[in-house]
Amino acid sequence: MNISPELIAIVVVAVFVIWAVAAYNGLIAMRTRVQNGWAEIDVQLKRRHDLIPNLVESVRGYMQHERETLEAVTQARTQAMAAPAGNIQQRSDAEGALSGALGKLFAVAENYPQLRAVESVQMLQEQLTSTENRIAYARQFYNDEVMKYNTAQSTFPRNMFAGLFGFAPATMFSASDSDRAPVQVKI
Amino acid sequence: MGIPLALVVTPLIYAVILICADIVSFFQPVPPAFWTRADEVARFGMVAFNRVLNHQPADPQSLVIGAAVMLLPGMLLSISLWLGMNALLRNAGVGGALLALKAREPNPSDLKELRLSDVVQEMAIAAGIPAPRVMLIDAPGANAAAIGTSPADARIIVSRRLIDDLSRDELEGALAHLIASIGNGDLRIAFRVAAIFESCGLLVAMINSPFGSQSRRTLWRLLRYGLAGSSKDAGAQEADAVAEILSRSALMGTDDIDRLLSPGKKSAFRSLLTFILFPIFMTNATIKMSLWFFSFSILGPSVALLWRTRQYLADASAVQLTRNPDGLASSLQKMSDDPGAIPGGDWASHLFIVAPGKAGSAESAMPSPREQQILAQAWAASAQPAGAPVAAAQPPADFRAILPQVMALHRSAFMGDPQAAARIRALSQAAAALDPAIASMIPDPADLVAARNGDRAAMARLAAITRQFKAHEQAQSPAPQRSGSEESSGLSSISSLSPHPSLKRRLKRLDRMGAHAEIAATDRKAWMVGAVIGLIFAPFLLLIAAGLLFLIAIFTLTSLTFLVIWVAVLHKILTLIPHH
Repeated sequence: MNISPELIAIVVVAVFVIWAVAAYNGLIAMRTRVQNGWAEIDVQLKRRHDLIPNLVESVRGYMQHERETLEAVTQARTQAMAAPAGNIQQRSDAEGALSGALGKLFAVAENYPQLRAVESVQMLQEQLTSTENRIAYARQFYNDEVMKYNTAQSTFPRNMFAGLFGFAPATMFSASDSDRAPVQVKI
Repeated sequence: MGIPLALVVTPLIYAVILICADIVSFFQPVPPAFWTRADEVARFGMVAFNRVLNHQPADPQSLVIGAAVMLLPGMLLSISLWLGMNALLRNAGVGGALLALKAREPNPSDLKELRLSDVVQEMAIAAGIPAPRVMLIDAPGANAAAIGTSPADARIIVSRRLIDDLSRDELEGALAHLIASIGNGDLRIAFRVAAIFESCGLLVAMINSPFGSQSRRTLWRLLRYGLAGSSKDAGAQEADAVAEILSRSALMGTDDIDRLLSPGKKSAFRSLLTFILFPIFMTNATIKMSLWFFSFSILGPSVALLWRTRQYLADASAVQLTRNPDGLASSLQKMSDDPGAIPGGDWASHLFIVAPGKAGSAESAMPSPREQQILAQAWAASAQPAGAPVAAAQPPADFRAILPQVMALHRSAFMGDPQAAARIRALSQAAAALDPAIASMIPDPADLVAARNGDRAAMARLAAITRQFKAHEQAQSPAPQRSGSEESSGLSSISSLSPHPSLKRRLKRLDRMGAHAEIAATDRKAWMVGAVIGLIFAPFLLLIAAGLLFLIAIFTLTSLTFLVIWVAVLHKILTLIPHH
C-alpha cells in the first residue's frame, strides 16, 4: 500500500488536534487548581478573621495594660477584611500586617502566665495556631500550583497559543515584609 | 503463581463441564456437535501436554492453542474471581474495619485531639485533597494508618498514644506521610493486592466446599452478602469478616479435608467416599501448596517490595508537604523505638506508618499486683496532709481506679502546675517509704519540667515510666479480639519480607532531604558475619526451593492424571446406565 500525501496530512492534523486538546485541557485543569487554591486561602483567611474577636475578648480581661496591642490587632483585622477581594497584592499586604499584629500579641501574652492555665484560651490558641498553619499551607499549595501553571504556559510550544485562548499568568501570594519573620504562636 | 494454578484449576473446570454435560444428556441428548468440539479441545490439550512431557515435536500453532486450552480457563476464572472480589468489597467500605479496631471520633474539647484534627486539616490543605476523616484508637502502640478503598472513603486512624508522645512538628510529619500516601493512590493499590489474596482464598473455599462445613459457611456468607449488597455497618462488618476468613484460608486452608481423612472415624461409606473423591483431594492439596509457595516466596516479597517503594514515596511527599524533614524523621524514630501492638489491626499492618509490634509484648512491662497494691497505698497516704501516719485506717483504693487520676496529675504537672508537682513528690516519698524500688516508677517532677524545656535525657526517663503505665492502662480494658483470628492475616504474614522499609533506610533517605537524624553507623563486623552466613546457606535455600517446585510439579501431574481417570470412569458409568 502506497502512502498518499493526503493521508500524511490527515495524520499530522489529527496528531496536532489531539495534542492541542490535551494541552488545552491540561491548562484548564491547572487553572482550576489555582483557583481552588486561592479559594482555600480565602476560606482560611475568613476563618482567622472570625476567630480574632473571640481571642481579643477572652484575653482582654487578663491584659488590661496591653490595650494598644489589642487595638492594633483589631485594626489590622478591619483593614484586612476591607481589602478588595480581587487585588491579590493588596490583600496579601493587609493579611501580612494582621499576621504581624497577631505575632506581637502572642509575644506579649508570654508575659501573662495566668493566661496559660485558662483552658478556653488554650483551645483558642490551638485554633489560631492551626489557622496560621492552614493559611501557610494553603499559600504553599497555591504558590506551587501557580508555579506549575505559569511554567506550563510559558514553555514552548504551549506559549504560542496559551495567550490566544485567554490563559494569563497567575500572581503568587507573596509574603510581605512584616510577615517575613515566622510568627511564634505560643502562650 | 498463575501458571501452575491455572494448570490445576483448568482440568477441574473441564471436569465439571463434562460431568454436567453427561448428566444433562441423561435426560435429553446433548447435540453431538458438543462432543466433537470437546474432543477437538482435548486433542489440542494433549499436543501441548506431549510436547512438555514426552518431548514430542509439535507445530507451533497447535502448541499455542494447546497451551491456551490448558491455561486460559483457569486464568479467566482467577481473574474474574479477583474482579468479583474487588467489586464486592469496594461496596463494603471501611466500616467493618473501624469497628474491629474500636475506632472512635476525636473529642473536640480535648486539646490534643483537637490538635490532631487540626493537623489533619492542615496537611490535607497542603496536599490539595479533601480532608479524610480521622478516628482515634486507644491502643498501646504509638502508630497511625490510612485505611480505605479509595481517596474518597479514606480514614486516618491514629492511636491516642501517638498524639500524647509526639510534638506538633512530629505529628505533622507523620500525618503528612499518611495524607501523601492517600494522595498518591496507595489505598487503591493496597486494596487490589488484598483482593488477590482473598480471591485465592475463595478458590480454596470453593474447592473445599463439597467436603467441609466451614468452607460452605464461608461461601454462603459471601453469597448472602453479595446478594444483599447492603452498605450498612452490619453489612460492612460482614464483608470484612468474610474477607478476613478468605485471606486466611488461602494459606492455612480450612482443615475440613484433613478431618474427613482422619483415621478416627472410618466407616465403609467414608472410605468409599475417600476413594471416589481422591482426585479432588489431590487437586486441593496441589492448589494449596502452590498458593502457599508462590505467595510466600514470590508474590508476597514482590508485593512487599512494591509497598516499600510506596512508603519511600510517601515519606518524600510528606517532606514536600511540610518542608520539614526533621519532623517526620524524629516521629519515625519515636514510633520505631516503641512500636506497640494494635489490637484488631493485624490485617492492616502494612497500612501503618511503622510495623506494629506483636501483641502481648507490652504485657511484661505491667506493674505486678504487689506493686499495684503498694502504689495504691502510697496514693492514699500522699492524699493526706504531710506528717500523717502512713498506715491510715482508710482502705487503699484500687489501683485501676486511681490510675486515670495519676495520669491526669502527670499531665498537669507537665503543663507546669506546681501543686501537681508537689503531689507527685509526696506520692513518690510515700512509695519510697513502703518500697524504694517502686518509687522509681514514679517520675521526678523535675524531669517533667526539664522535658517540657526539651531535655532529651529527661524525656527518655519519662518515656520509660509512661510505657509501664500505658501498658497497664491497656491491660485493664483489652480490646476483644475478633473471633477466630489467632493467626494474623495481614500482608506481612503472607510474605517472607516485611512490607515496611527499615528505619535506617528511611532515615538515610530523609537525611538526604536535609533531616538531622542520628543514623546508627552500620556495624561492619555484623554485616560481614551476615554475608558469610548468607553465602553458606544460599545454596541450601535454593535447593529447598527447587525441591518444593519439583514437588508441586509432581503433585500437579498426579492430580491431573487422577482427574482424567476419574472423569473417564464417571462418564463410562453414566453412559452404561440405560436411558432413552
